[in-house]
Amino acid sequence: MQRRFWVGLSLLCGATPLAAQGDASSWILTRSKITYHVSHPLHQTDGMSYEARGKGVCQNGQCSFLIGAPVKSFNSGDSNRDLHMIQVVRGAQYPMVVVRTTLPESAGSQDTVRADLEIEFAGQTVHYSQVPFQLVMHGDDANIEGTIPMTLSDFKIDPPSLLTIPVKNEVPVKVEMLWHKEK
Amino acid sequence: MQRTIFACCGAALSVLLAIPAQGQTGAVSGKVSAGSGAPIPNAQVSVKNDSTGAARETLTDSAGGYQIADLAPGAYELSVSANGYRPASQDLIVTAGETSSVNVTLAENLSLGDLGFTSAQTQGSQADQARLDQRSHMLKMHQRFGILTAVSFVATLISSQSAGGRRSSSSGRNWHAGLGILNTGLYFTTAYFAIFAPKIPGTETRGQIRIHKYLAWIHGAGMIVTPILGGMAYNQRSNGQRVTGAASYHGAAAAITATAFGLAIISVSIKF
Repeated sequence: MQRRFWVGLSLLCGATPLAAQGDASSWILTRSKITYHVSHPLHQTDGMSYEARGKGVCQNGQCSFLIGAPVKSFNSGDSNRDLHMIQVVRGAQYPMVVVRTTLPESAGSQDTVRADLEIEFAGQTVHYSQVPFQLVMHGDDANIEGTIPMTLSDFKIDPPSLLTIPVKNEVPVKVEMLWHKEK
Repeated sequence: MQRTIFACCGAALSVLLAIPAQGQTGAVSGKVSAGSGAPIPNAQVSVKNDSTGAARETLTDSAGGYQIADLAPGAYELSVSANGYRPASQDLIVTAGETSSVNVTLAENLSLGDLGFTSAQTQGSQADQARLDQRSHMLKMHQRFGILTAVSFVATLISSQSAGGRRSSSSGRNWHAGLGILNTGLYFTTAYFAIFAPKIPGTETRGQIRIHKYLAWIHGAGMIVTPILGGMAYNQRSNGQRVTGAASYHGAAAAITATAFGLAIISVSIKF
């Protein structure tokens, strides 16, 4: 009944464009560091990329974000290991890691944002639900930090091995990002 | 005359009956546009009755306009979708005899092009992947043969105890020589898989793999010199002579070669 009242009221007020609920705004990824961690009995390796690019578009109270990073931009400090990583994750065939998520505009007022992520990587698309990210706002800038609990099996990646010993299936990915809001 | 009166009455009656029939339905119309204000033609607009589940749909015209008529009064969900845009939906009430106006603005779907990535960066290459697969396969073989070579290195060094010095014996020398030949064969098989693994253009060598490659120059040269010196020493000993001249450096050359080979394995196995 209440819903009908509000819908009726909006109709009485004339046309109801969906976009009228909020001004369109956008977010630009200005700085980022993405780090994957690989565990092996002989090695603990971190590979980092600073080359992610991202954009968010807010409309109707919802913000859609797209983040992309070239697979080959991850640097673990050893070119041989990086080439091997690119091979096992089929990085020449699928050269980009792409992350999509949608968040309510109101999420900007919270300390912790829980995001449903859609990740395209190694030719697979995997959803991770309610991944927590710490959010710190500084005016129009937003610092976001969190860890995505990725595993190799999620993306049908055969664990690479060193001296015939495979690495662990868990490859957590730490995300540190600075976003800037543009109106 | 009487027929004409009946015909007029019938026509009037049918008109009167038709008026309430039209008034029992409502309609929805509006315009679908992008965030920039540009109209979106061929967007799919559908309405679904909340209580009956009955659905109707249409496409927007070239000006982004749409209209769906003859809807039973009630609550509906209006959904709009178009290629390249995020779908949107909204609740609405259809009232008998009225046309509800609902304009919809669709947000554009972001693409990697919007982030500034070129198609060269985002398009994959099966050929490049095949080259990487081949490279990894060969380096995996390099690793496996490397482990076998390391084992044969140790066995050859142990057997050297009965091949030279005071405890030298003919059978000990033969064992050592045989293991040495096996070791040399394994070594060059190992080297083959590394040397002929496909190279990836534009790759700058960095990290501990550089140490691995530098050490290869030492044990590679050692694996050429050591068997030659070993053959010379074998002949001298077999002829009942003392090992002299260049052949006397066989042991030292073997020790340096084995050490460099061991360090090369460690350089890619343990992170420092």
